[in-house]
Amino acid sequence: MVEQVPLPPPPPQWVLDLDSKPIRKSKPASIPDPPGYVAGGTGNTKRTKQTQQQQRTPPTAEETNQLKLKKAWELALAPAKQLPMNGIMMYMSGNSLQIFSIMMVFMLFKGPIQGLMNVNQVFSRFEAEGIQSQMLGIKLVYVLMQLLALGLGVWKVNGMGLLPTARSDWLAWETERLPLERAIPAFR
Amino acid sequence: MRLFASSALVLSLLSPVYAVFQDEAYHTDFHHALLGTPQEHTTFFHRPQSVSKASLLYTLSEKGILGAVNPRNGSLVWRQVLGDGLPPTNAFLRAGEDEDAVVGAIGDHVSSWSALDGKLVWSNVFGDGPARDLEVLELEEGKVNRPAKDVVTLFGTEKGVVKRLDGATGDVKWEFKDQSGDLPYQVSSSATSIYYISLHPALIKGYKIKVTTLDALTGAQTGQYTLNTDSDVTSADLILFVGSNAALPVVAWTDPSHKTLKVNLLGSRQISTFNVPSESGERVEKIILHAPHVINSVPHFLVHYQSPSSHSAEVYHIDLSAGTVSKAYSLPKLAGKGTFSTTTVDANVFFTRSTQEEFVLVSSASHGILGRWPVRGASLAIDAPVHGVSEVVAKTGSTYAVRSAVTLTSGEWQLIRNGDFDWSRPEYLAGVVAADWAELEEQKDLARELEVEGHENVLSAYIHRVKRHLRDLEGLPAWIQRLPSRLAGSLFGDHNVIPTDGLHADSFGFRKLILVATENGRVLALDSGDVGKIVWATTVIDLGPGKKWDVKGMLVNGDAVQIRSGTGEQVTLEVLTGKVLQREPAKPAKVESTAIIEEAGQLSLLSIYEDETIEAPELIGEGTVIVLQGKNGNAKGVQVVPGQKSSVPVWEFAPPAGERIVGLTSRAAHDPVASIGKVLGDRSVMYKYLNPNLLLVTTVSDAQSTLSFHLLDSTSGNVLYTASHEGVATSRPITSALSENWFTYAFWADVVEGSTSATSKGYQLVVAELYESSIPNDRGLLGSRNNYSSVDASATDNQPHVISQAYRIPEEISGMTVTQTRQGITSRELLCTLSSSNAIVAIPRMVLDPRRPLGRDPTPAEAEEGLFRYVPTLEFNPQWIITHKREVAGIDQVITSPTLLESTSLVFAYGLDVFGTRVAPSRQFDILGKEFGKVQLIGTVLAVAAGVAILAPMVRRKQINAQWQSP
Repeated sequence: MVEQVPLPPPPPQWVLDLDSKPIRKSKPASIPDPPGYVAGGTGNTKRTKQTQQQQRTPPTAEETNQLKLKKAWELALAPAKQLPMNGIMMYMSGNSLQIFSIMMVFMLFKGPIQGLMNVNQVFSRFEAEGIQSQMLGIKLVYVLMQLLALGLGVWKVNGMGLLPTARSDWLAWETERLPLERAIPAFR
Repeated sequence: MRLFASSALVLSLLSPVYAVFQDEAYHTDFHHALLGTPQEHTTFFHRPQSVSKASLLYTLSEKGILGAVNPRNGSLVWRQVLGDGLPPTNAFLRAGEDEDAVVGAIGDHVSSWSALDGKLVWSNVFGDGPARDLEVLELEEGKVNRPAKDVVTLFGTEKGVVKRLDGATGDVKWEFKDQSGDLPYQVSSSATSIYYISLHPALIKGYKIKVTTLDALTGAQTGQYTLNTDSDVTSADLILFVGSNAALPVVAWTDPSHKTLKVNLLGSRQISTFNVPSESGERVEKIILHAPHVINSVPHFLVHYQSPSSHSAEVYHIDLSAGTVSKAYSLPKLAGKGTFSTTTVDANVFFTRSTQEEFVLVSSASHGILGRWPVRGASLAIDAPVHGVSEVVAKTGSTYAVRSAVTLTSGEWQLIRNGDFDWSRPEYLAGVVAADWAELEEQKDLARELEVEGHENVLSAYIHRVKRHLRDLEGLPAWIQRLPSRLAGSLFGDHNVIPTDGLHADSFGFRKLILVATENGRVLALDSGDVGKIVWATTVIDLGPGKKWDVKGMLVNGDAVQIRSGTGEQVTLEVLTGKVLQREPAKPAKVESTAIIEEAGQLSLLSIYEDETIEAPELIGEGTVIVLQGKNGNAKGVQVVPGQKSSVPVWEFAPPAGERIVGLTSRAAHDPVASIGKVLGDRSVMYKYLNPNLLLVTTVSDAQSTLSFHLLDSTSGNVLYTASHEGVATSRPITSALSENWFTYAFWADVVEGSTSATSKGYQLVVAELYESSIPNDRGLLGSRNNYSSVDASATDNQPHVISQAYRIPEEISGMTVTQTRQGITSRELLCTLSSSNAIVAIPRMVLDPRRPLGRDPTPAEAEEGLFRYVPTLEFNPQWIITHKREVAGIDQVITSPTLLESTSLVFAYGLDVFGTRVAPSRQFDILGKEFGKVQLIGTVLAVAAGVAILAPMVRRKQINAQWQSP
């Protein structure tokens, strides 16, 4: 014996009003938006962007390539931008062998070496038909920049005295000059 | 003052530790403070304080050392060096009864010392020749209101001079000069007069004993008589005894064949004659008269007759009022050697007879034996007694106690109390003439086995190895048994202590045998790991009295040690047991020096004879130069002509006219160099001039007081470097050391007026370093060549670049040695013997760096090298004194040896005292220090393990629960 439950009464109008946004009225052209107001910025940005993109004409392949090249250049030159900062940091950290300077030098070496190893991977997303030759140049510049960063590391390591550049570093491999004659003391 | 302050500051920064704490010292070192073998006539018991009954044992030894020994434990109370190298027979030591002074005379030097603490009371040197006798005047007038008893001394070799010296000041009160030309012999004193005994040479042969009576107060001659003894006394040593004082005013002598004994009472002309007992017909070879020295004792004396195989004695009594001497009783003849000693208790005189078997005490009054004690626990059974002194204590009833300090033929000094061994002093160690290290090779057998395996084919080598491992299992239970004690010792024990069960090497090579040859013909082995304990002692050569063993060479060769004497005689002993393996007789040619030749892995000891010929020249390889000091004193290099026995001189270094060579120094046989260059602060390299054939020749000119050092290449004789100093005291020790690429020397110099070079007054230490070139990163003329010949024509151009610096040092250095380590990585230390403060100082090589900046602070690069500002004064930092507070006297030679640990070098010093220690010039970097908390470490590990054991189940349960309970 299931008792039939009556349907709930329809919600009142104010509830409905709260749930649904009011219909945007077309604004008169004569009244400008207040400064800082962005149309459609109240929540449904995704929808509006989609609508905007839908509205924009898709860029041509050439344009995309240009854009890609531009981006690739930026990426290629990025290590160079870090050089002055790294240089100052290295200068400040001193030439003594301490845990911090050693860690910094390690990071200095790690970045460029990783970069050099992943050249193709880094630029893979910019690869496109027709710009391969240009991309090669960019990659070269990128490699050069990484080498510059590496050079900074080498300079630093040299400053720390870790490079076997001095005569003393090879002293252990030098042999004593042996006399051909032998003398035996017999005066005691 | 600022200089001193800054140098002190720098040195304090330098030193790795700030102090040597008491618990850090005296763990690894050992020291035998010695006196030398005691002499019969200068050894006695004496009470330094009349209020106390405690007495000390005093001796003036054969080495001229005056010392007091505590008879309770044999420890040295004090000692003073009276005469070094003077004949000990002319040394005298007396102590006034109940006086706190002992008076000694040696040479022409008389001195009085406080008996209690050995402080000098007075000392006086007379120019009348050596002392012949010394007596303390026990006069009645001397006792009243006098601080010290006067002393009467006799000086002179031909013209006797008797002097009475004030006991408190040593000033001469009067003197009597004998102008007759008779040989001065002895003095004796009675209550009122002093007898001066001289020997008047008879017309044909022999001597007449002349007795001159002197007034004790004024020294005026009051009488004189001569005894017709010329038929008996043919030489002075036939006079047996001259009584020193009124207790026994007699002169006794014998005839050359020891048949009769003649006695004269001083003051009378009567001679009593007694026959020497000779029932068995055996010749008496020695007669010794023992008499009391104490003035109020009864006038009894004992005559000891020693024949080659037995000895006997007779006791005589003197009737002073009647002026007669009579025999009282005789003691039975006993086999072997024996000694007698006289002791006075109040007026009673006791004689203690000691033989190898027993001690017997008799009274001088009757022949009844008062006490008899068999010898127990002493080495008297092995070595015969030579002489002794005794102290007798009369206990309640008629029992007596005797303690005797007996000197044995070996030179050992033992105290025997009622026949029981009490203590022993190894005084024979006082004359070590040569020493060498012998390794205790634990793994010697293993090395041999491995060699066998290396030479066999693979299969048989494998079988051999398996067999060896199975054999090794035999030692497993013992090894397991030892394990807990080893662990416990390692954890809680002193890590310096080396297990001393059996003669096995320790794992660090600290334990070695030090083989020493002493001047009395004995060879001993000391254990460097067991505080210098004597492992064995063997008498190798029986030298006559007064002769010293002239050891020319010593070589430890595997299991055997060869010792070569100056006569060419060679003894080979087993290192571990001291058993004589081989004995080579003396050769006609005298051995001048020895050389150690290594040919095809075989070491051999070759004699260089007086005529500069070489024994067994076929062992010497072609082209090898033997460096020796020729007959004319010149340094010489000789080479063996192939196929011939003769040798030809290759070069000869003659010092400039007026100069003589006083020293030759060469690099040690083991002198490894870890790095061939010195890295400078800017990381460039100064290449060391490394030449194993360097020879440093020291020449002096006594007339001009100049000192020169010539550095030679001893294969070619080329002079590489010369340094000269002016105003040098050439009679003082001039020492030098040569190692690696540097040499140092020390001397005393004075300011020279008008000298072209800067001179200063004081002791100086000069250090010089040799480099291949003055320019860094340059290897000199020879460039990158890896061998060179010194006899090439171009070799003369290859001169080292020498830099040197001099320091003022506070003390005289009488000997220098450089520490040796296994690979030469550890920095070296210069071990200097300081004879005036009886110490050995180890100066770090870093301090003696001639590149220390002069007149300015070091640049950062120089500071990186460890250089600090040069200061002209080098103070010996007390932490450098490796002997600490020990007074290590009379050190002649210091030898060093590497251990298995690179950081550590063994040091052994000998001469009078014997001292050994370990040094770590760069601290002990390869061994865990005492401060390392092994217990804490293990405790932490255990605590963590316990924590894991508790937490692991909890965590596991939690993880499982988490899996079940998760939604």
